[in-house]
Amino acid sequence: MSKYIKTIVMAAVAVLAVAFPFYTGAYPQSIAQSVLTYMILAVSWDMLLRTGQISFGIAGFFGIGSYAAVLSMLYLNLPPMLTILIGGIIAGAIAGLLGIAVLRLRGMYFAIVTLAVAEIFRIIMTNLKGFTGGPEGELLPQLIFQGNPYLTYYLMFGMAVLTIIISEIFLRSRVHYALTAIRNDEIVARSSGVNIFKYLVIIFIVTSVIQGMTGGINAQTYGFVTPESSFSLDYTLLPLAMALLGGIYGTMGPVVGALLLGIVSEYLKLYIPYGHLVIYGIIVVIVILYMPQGIVGLAARIRKAGARNE
Amino acid sequence: MKNCITVMIAVLLLLALPLAVFAGGQGEQGEQVEQGEQAAEKDPIKLGGVWPLADITGDQGSKAAQLAVEEINANGGVLGRQLELSVIDSELKPEKGRSAIERLATVEDVDIFVGGMSSGVHLGQIPSLKKYEKVTMWTGAASSKAEEAVGPDADWYFHLHPWDYTQGQSYVDGWGDISEKYPEIKVSDWFLAYEDGAFGTGSFQASQNLYTELGEMTGESFKSAATGGGDYTAVLEHAKEYGPEVFIWAGYDADALPMLETAKAIDFAPPIYLGAPPGWPQGFGESPLSNYVMLYGMWAPSMNSVSGVSKHFYEAYTGKYDGEPQTYFAPLSYSAIYILKEGIERAGTLEKEALIEALENTEYDSPLGQTIGFSPSNIIQHQGIWGQKILQWQNGKREVIWPFEYQTAEPVYPFPGWDER
Amino acid sequence: MKTSKNLQLTIVGIAAAIGILLILWKPSVLIYGLQGAGLYAAVALPMALILGIVGIINLAHGEFMMLGAYLAYWFSTQFGIDPLLAMIPVLISMGIVGVITYKTTIHRVLGAPELNQLILTFGIAMVLSQVVNLIATSQPRKLSLDYVTASAKVGELSFGTYDFIFVAAAVLFLAGLLFFLRRTKLGKAAVAVGQNPKGARLVGINVDRTYLIIFSIALGLLGIIGTLFLTSHSIFPLVGGSYTMKSFCLVAMAGIGQLKPILWGSLALGVSESFIMSFQGYGGWADIVFFAIIVIVIISRAYKRTES
Repeated sequence: MSKYIKTIVMAAVAVLAVAFPFYTGAYPQSIAQSVLTYMILAVSWDMLLRTGQISFGIAGFFGIGSYAAVLSMLYLNLPPMLTILIGGIIAGAIAGLLGIAVLRLRGMYFAIVTLAVAEIFRIIMTNLKGFTGGPEGELLPQLIFQGNPYLTYYLMFGMAVLTIIISEIFLRSRVHYALTAIRNDEIVARSSGVNIFKYLVIIFIVTSVIQGMTGGINAQTYGFVTPESSFSLDYTLLPLAMALLGGIYGTMGPVVGALLLGIVSEYLKLYIPYGHLVIYGIIVVIVILYMPQGIVGLAARIRKAGARNE
Repeated sequence: MKNCITVMIAVLLLLALPLAVFAGGQGEQGEQVEQGEQAAEKDPIKLGGVWPLADITGDQGSKAAQLAVEEINANGGVLGRQLELSVIDSELKPEKGRSAIERLATVEDVDIFVGGMSSGVHLGQIPSLKKYEKVTMWTGAASSKAEEAVGPDADWYFHLHPWDYTQGQSYVDGWGDISEKYPEIKVSDWFLAYEDGAFGTGSFQASQNLYTELGEMTGESFKSAATGGGDYTAVLEHAKEYGPEVFIWAGYDADALPMLETAKAIDFAPPIYLGAPPGWPQGFGESPLSNYVMLYGMWAPSMNSVSGVSKHFYEAYTGKYDGEPQTYFAPLSYSAIYILKEGIERAGTLEKEALIEALENTEYDSPLGQTIGFSPSNIIQHQGIWGQKILQWQNGKREVIWPFEYQTAEPVYPFPGWDER
Repeated sequence: MKTSKNLQLTIVGIAAAIGILLILWKPSVLIYGLQGAGLYAAVALPMALILGIVGIINLAHGEFMMLGAYLAYWFSTQFGIDPLLAMIPVLISMGIVGVITYKTTIHRVLGAPELNQLILTFGIAMVLSQVVNLIATSQPRKLSLDYVTASAKVGELSFGTYDFIFVAAAVLFLAGLLFFLRRTKLGKAAVAVGQNPKGARLVGINVDRTYLIIFSIALGLLGIIGTLFLTSHSIFPLVGGSYTMKSFCLVAMAGIGQLKPILWGSLALGVSESFIMSFQGYGGWADIVFFAIIVIVIISRAYKRTES
């Protein structure tokens, strides 16, 4: 019975999401575009988090992907879709090399190194003036799909679906159990004979490819890159906050968190034009204090409490 | 599994939310129309403004624009209709700036776009502006990258703020004029200290070629306090070594005083010490160090003595809001609204072709001093303001030196050495 | 043990040699590097204190410094006193802010995963900077003080001397903190709590109260730094962000719970930044040095640990 309901609800969600551009206007669509962007980043960040590694380098891979996409289009004249793929590949390659060097670090040290590497790439892009346009960035002669909002929505939507599927696959894979074991107790996992390090590197590469491609899509949608906007710390901090508010260690949490924070921030802005960011901050604080497991966690608790009462 | 369903339903509701947002927007619009009808028996003319409201530029710019709207409405509106300004925060983020345009265009259904500050945000908005092709009166974005992005075909696009290169040209003209009138003032050796972001680098690139008309120019970047820097020792040491006749810095308001303090500490006092930030910090004029610092700017309260419009604007602004206008974005945004008012009145309609043609013939006597009209710049068809003014801090006030027609004080030259004060 | 002592000697020797070369070749690099290092270290020390004992990475660190600076500005303009005198009321007010912040928020996430703590402090940072922005606007403020332009002249070189106050502050902070943690009862208890809260509780130390005191002391120190910062820098609501990041990097470079290495780390960063900036046209790369050094130190330390 419950499975039946679940299928129906899921189908409804899918239909609503796919039909989204048809029952809304350009404004909700542009909000959706940015919500989807942050959703992908949040889910991919959570995928790495499940291995116990906290990355502060989302903005770095996002920015690398953005620049790779724009520069490969400007210099090599490649088709836009291909440049997005290149954005992902380059971000993935950098992640691979970096990962081999730093994935043995744990906790705060790994976080700091990813943050520092993101900053290093931002500074490089700012200072290689002849190649990257320097602080003023580069413009694309035209937007992807000539700026068709439907197609750009579906591109980002497709990327989001892909990310969610990959995330679910990871959740169901045997590696996941090994990785959860690492998170909880490294010695147990090591003695179980799973080659942790190899999987860590693979997951780091996969999530970075996702983040790089998202950067590429974003750059192709807006038609420009600048170091300031492409490597903005927002791309690191907001997905983190979204995943946490939604609930970490799963696909659903980051998805819900991104939807909620993305829409709430827009609402606040319309009703409190001067000072909405204060409220936004207060919401973040309150949610962390009173819903430490996030919204998904809270929902689970309520269900459990309900079941007990029955 | 059950909690999964709860969450799914939540997602479902969230996805359906845009329906409510959309419908809500429609509802609001309906109410506003009703109010407008009661007030003027006609729909209001809707203006959509986008500024970064948490920043002093956008905060005061949007408030000055609102002031203009209220003044116009109090005088019977335009074509017998009231003006209505909806303002949305760009949060200084390209994607937020773009969503704001989308909302104004589709939900608020505005007739005209105004506003703007920051080239980076504008780059994100331009594709959306191009999609709607509504008449647009832009108060921000100096980067010529933005001009490139707008392109030559956008006849609906009116840009008030000078581009980096027109600004640079105006300085060259200004210093040419000044050195002609005051032959003792020497301006052939320049050192430009520029902040390492888009603003400073753009200024440097734009002026590099131009200043060859005046003489030699060299420059170096520094990290602005506004972006986490604030160490000026290296760049000032190099400037001191170079020994320029004119030292100019292009950074932000946060850099103004600390940089002067560093200059004093390392004993660097060039004959002309010139600043080109978009705004000045609170109380800069009260510092004894600020005396005789020159600056580029569009407007200063001292202009009240040479321009009646400026005086009117200043008094109205300080009467309505706390504190005086701190950046030129206030008079600039105020001007944008009045230019639109004049254009609509001349056109006699909101019909696009007629309005564009009427705006092309604008001659608005602005609080910035000059009469604003539009002519083509390098790429776009309608550029409003071409340059800034050359001013000087004298006894706590910004006095206009050039253009001479708005001059409020004679220049003091050279910048006195630190031990002569 | 012996090799590590030799290694230390070699490092000190190399550092001294570089220092002497710099004095001869570019004395200004050393002067400004030292001044920059002083500010870095002074700001980072309270963060290290909180991380080492309370175990929280405080992403609102720079924002608390900003708050301290605004308080100092307010005291100084409201009562017409010199900001350096305002340091005392600021210290007290920031201590109170510390108590309130701890009681209402930090206290409740002590047992939570570190990510929750991180995002909580991120939210606090946002609230602080945006509230200040609403009250004071984004326009920078700067007091105009005569003494901050104090300078000295050695031969041809004229340089500002006021910023050495940050070096003094950093050294005093470190000395004071080390004394507090090693010699006082409360400090020793705090160290015990930092190393093993459960054990500390067993021997009768009031862990929660210790956390509260340490957190408030750290914020009080930030109030002092904020006041000093105000005297020679412009302040605006977002001024703290970059200091949070730099302190965070420095603390990680020094290692959790370590105070002394922060001084050396800051010195290395300050001097190398100043060195790069002394070459005209290459100043833009100075930031990269900062982050590159952080990455190299962290990675090499990790490998050293796995080898040994």
